[in-house]
Amino acid sequence: MINSLIKRFNIPPRDQWREAIGKLIDDRVRIITAGLSIRELRAIMRGDPPTEKPNPRYKVITTSFVAHLRPRYYPAAATWFTHTLRLGFFTTFFFVLEIITGIVLMVYYIPFPDQAYGSVLAIESNVFLGEFLRDMHRLGAEAMVVFSWLHLLRTYFTGSYKGPRSFTWLTGVILLLITAWLSFTGYLLPWDQLAYWAVTVGTSITESGPVVGPALNLLMRGAPDIGTGGLLRFYLQHVILMPLLAILLISIHYYKVSREHSISLPAVVEETEMDPEKKKEATRRIDLIPDLLSHELFLIALGLFITVAILYFRGFASPLETHANPQQTPLDTKAPWYFWWLQGILKIDPASIIENLVNPLFEMFGLSYRVELSRLLDSKFIMGLMVPPALVLLLMAIPYIDRNPSRLARKRPFAIAWGVAWIFIVLVLSYMGTPEYGIETPAATRIIQDLAPEEGEGPLRLIPYPELENRQMEYIVGQDYGTDLCPGLSYYPDPESHPNDIVVGCPHLTEVFQTFSRRLIDAQIDGRLPGLNAKLIVEQLQADVVKVTPHVEWTDPSTGQAQTYYHIYFLHKDRAMDAH
Amino acid sequence: MKRIQLEIVLGTLLVLLTTAMVVVLGFREPQRLEQYVVQQRAELIEFGATVFTNNCTSCHGSLGQGVAGVAPSLRDAHFFTERLAEVGWQGGLEDYIISVVTTGRQISTRPQLYAGMTGQAPVMPTWSEKFGGPLRDDQIRAVAAFIMNFEPYALGLVPTAVPLGPVVDESTPEGRGQVVFAAQGCTACHAISGLSTGNVGPVLDGLASRAGNTVAGLSAEEYIHQSIVDPNAYIVPGFAEGIMPQNFAELMSEDQLNDLVAFLLTLE
Ligand code: HEC
Ligand code: HEC
Ligand code: HEM
Repeated sequence: MINSLIKRFNIPPRDQWREAIGKLIDDRVRIITAGLSIRELRAIMRGDPPTEKPNPRYKVITTSFVAHLRPRYYPAAATWFTHTLRLGFFTTFFFVLEIITGIVLMVYYIPFPDQAYGSVLAIESNVFLGEFLRDMHRLGAEAMVVFSWLHLLRTYFTGSYKGPRSFTWLTGVILLLITAWLSFTGYLLPWDQLAYWAVTVGTSITESGPVVGPALNLLMRGAPDIGTGGLLRFYLQHVILMPLLAILLISIHYYKVSREHSISLPAVVEETEMDPEKKKEATRRIDLIPDLLSHELFLIALGLFITVAILYFRGFASPLETHANPQQTPLDTKAPWYFWWLQGILKIDPASIIENLVNPLFEMFGLSYRVELSRLLDSKFIMGLMVPPALVLLLMAIPYIDRNPSRLARKRPFAIAWGVAWIFIVLVLSYMGTPEYGIETPAATRIIQDLAPEEGEGPLRLIPYPELENRQMEYIVGQDYGTDLCPGLSYYPDPESHPNDIVVGCPHLTEVFQTFSRRLIDAQIDGRLPGLNAKLIVEQLQADVVKVTPHVEWTDPSTGQAQTYYHIYFLHKDRAMDAH
Repeated sequence: MKRIQLEIVLGTLLVLLTTAMVVVLGFREPQRLEQYVVQQRAELIEFGATVFTNNCTSCHGSLGQGVAGVAPSLRDAHFFTERLAEVGWQGGLEDYIISVVTTGRQISTRPQLYAGMTGQAPVMPTWSEKFGGPLRDDQIRAVAAFIMNFEPYALGLVPTAVPLGPVVDESTPEGRGQVVFAAQGCTACHAISGLSTGNVGPVLDGLASRAGNTVAGLSAEEYIHQSIVDPNAYIVPGFAEGIMPQNFAELMSEDQLNDLVAFLLTLE
């Protein structure tokens, strides 16, 4: 019986067992590593040369699918840190991080307007490490946008888009668009005021297009206003369409780099006369296994460490404002900061610029003719629908516009200056795109909004509850209350962890009232708020809720009519005092 | 050490540090979740307070204290302790509030007390956008959380804060009358500059000057008295009959009524 089993399973005699088991394990290892033996693995770890011939480390690249996407080696100089700054690598890193965190978030998220916000709240309040996960996904998204822009700048300044790599550049520009659209579609999903209005304003740009404009707008929003249809559309694009497109395009982009052209050599190596010794060193092969791979594993560890450390030390928090409310447009609708430059472009009105330039000339020469372009040129259409696509085309055309064969910075001063100029232009446009720039808000509204923006914190909401509790006061602007509004008050801001810290009076409330008074009185002096009559009312509404009302009355300088603006804020004792 | 070994060592170290941070976060997580739930409830109540102020104060009063003849108080002991049994509701109070607010009330369960603002059905409109009202579900949940938060005041667990308003001298009939004016909920319907902003009934500024020559044969004092105890005897042009509650005479003592009239006579 036993003998027949031994025969059947081909079991060798006892003295050969050790060897046989060794071979069995080695075979398994070779299968798992696509060709590396245990001995080879050990040599790799030690930094020893290959143990067999032909080099089994190259074999991995032909046998393994994942490894076949990678190059066998790069020339040493192409891997210099100063050359690539690892920017393309980190863009990919964050993309993968987004996929992983995104899949987990998908488990909890519900893409319907009446449940989306609640499901995000549940992720924050009811899912183990849910806030961490959401923050990581949001931080990763911003990082991916930043790194793809930086990566673009680096390939521009090293002239790597030239010659055979112009197609790589083209796929890169498409990836930039995909990244932008990924982040934009994701922005809507929390379904809070921030998301809803940023996306409403963003999609409204298409409306101004001729003929197909309204249809395009309808297609994107799924209805005249963003609702169930729009949210579902954005969700599916965000979790299926765009990631798949991104994977496809990244593969093409990277294939060009890894299998066809390699990473460009730094221009100094390629184009200048170098000491032959140095040149040899610079073009020496750096193999994927083990050098590139171990370096990349190290970069992954570094990237994870930095991301987690930022979240650990609370350097980043995803915003979550109040539930989206289609009936109430916030005063400042905020696009995500990396789209401010676009919002800045939209604030430029070409028609009035031309009018202001040309009409004074007509006047100088005594002509009565005046150019009136505003009727002909729709600024939203030009700046929103014509300029951005034109900029994208320009970006794509760079390799074909720039015919200068050299990649050396000093031989392409024009291209470098042009690049630096664009960085400035984008920064200025971004500044113009900030919600406050170029938008006139009535003085009283602006002053109250600055104290307590409709969304987010602001100094008024950061007044600690004890300073307001049972205060029951109307503080009149212009009256002298001394240096502190609450004589006799003292409280322990943090009795648990700092039992000895005591605050005397109400410094925060006082500060807020003083700022409020100072800005109103300034506005009264410079004529924006004549007949000013203002107060800050603090009332107790419930046992643990106070009601704070900044209240301003004035006479409108142009119409002479009495005006009132006030805003009521409710502050609960247990409200979060830091952005979570 | 070769670069590759350095990278392996450093990389391992970084992975360990990263893991350590995640583990620490994991240990803190139950506490964070607990705190987040508390803060979330606080923010829900704040949001509910805004919803309440924007939609409900015209009937239920600026502090939820109710308006005589119009709508009940939502912050008294009766509402928190006996109301559910009175209407035979099986579930909890918060659910009751959500249900009443969602659908509204076609007719009052207490028509002798709350005939409604217009004297016509519904006494309280439907609020849910599902039935044509203005509020989303999350807003209704928020306003319910806000009303529930009146409990400590309603049950007297925490002394109620004295309402803020112009300082009144309660030793004079006019001063006491002003208090009655607020306490009876006249403020919900009538505006007096600096005092109230109700806009259902006429503005009462200048009432004392016009009251004497509104109805032939009635002095200013008699006209005002009649306007309160028998509002339908004379309807101010531009307003409908039956909006102002008819039962104020039963809700006030004779003294209170006289003080109230004395106060209204000061509105030159
Ligand atoms: C048009 C006046 C009116 C408005 C506005 C109004 N209510 Fe009411 N409400 C009433 C009346 C009248 C009743 C009493 C119904 C009854 O007795 O059956 C009532 C009853 C209630 C009840 C049940 C009280 C009880 O004792 O059973 C709640 C809770 C309530 N309202 C909440 C609200 C909320 C929240 C809002 C704002 C969203 C609101 N109401 C706005 C008139 C109003
Ligand atoms: C539900 C809303 C409502 C409430 C509450 C209410 N009123 Fe009125 N009141 C009206 C309306 C509507 C009119 C005008 C129609 C009329 O004359 O009956 C009016 C008319 C008056 C007038 C006559 C005004 C004039 O210009 O001639 C007086 C005085 C008055 N109310 C006093 C009071 C007092 C005092 C209270 C509180 C005890 C009160 N009202 C509560 C709705 C209200
Ligand atoms: C999702 C976005 C992108 C990803 C994941 C990505 C990834 C990469 C990677 C990994 C490389 C290898 C070299 C390196 O690390 O620098 C690379 C090279 C390159 N990328 Fe990208 N890239 C992206 C976007 C872009 C953009 C926006 C551009 C420019 C328009 C661009 C242009 C190039 C070019 C020209 C090269 C070749 C560089 C050289 O040979 O020196 N890429 N990309």
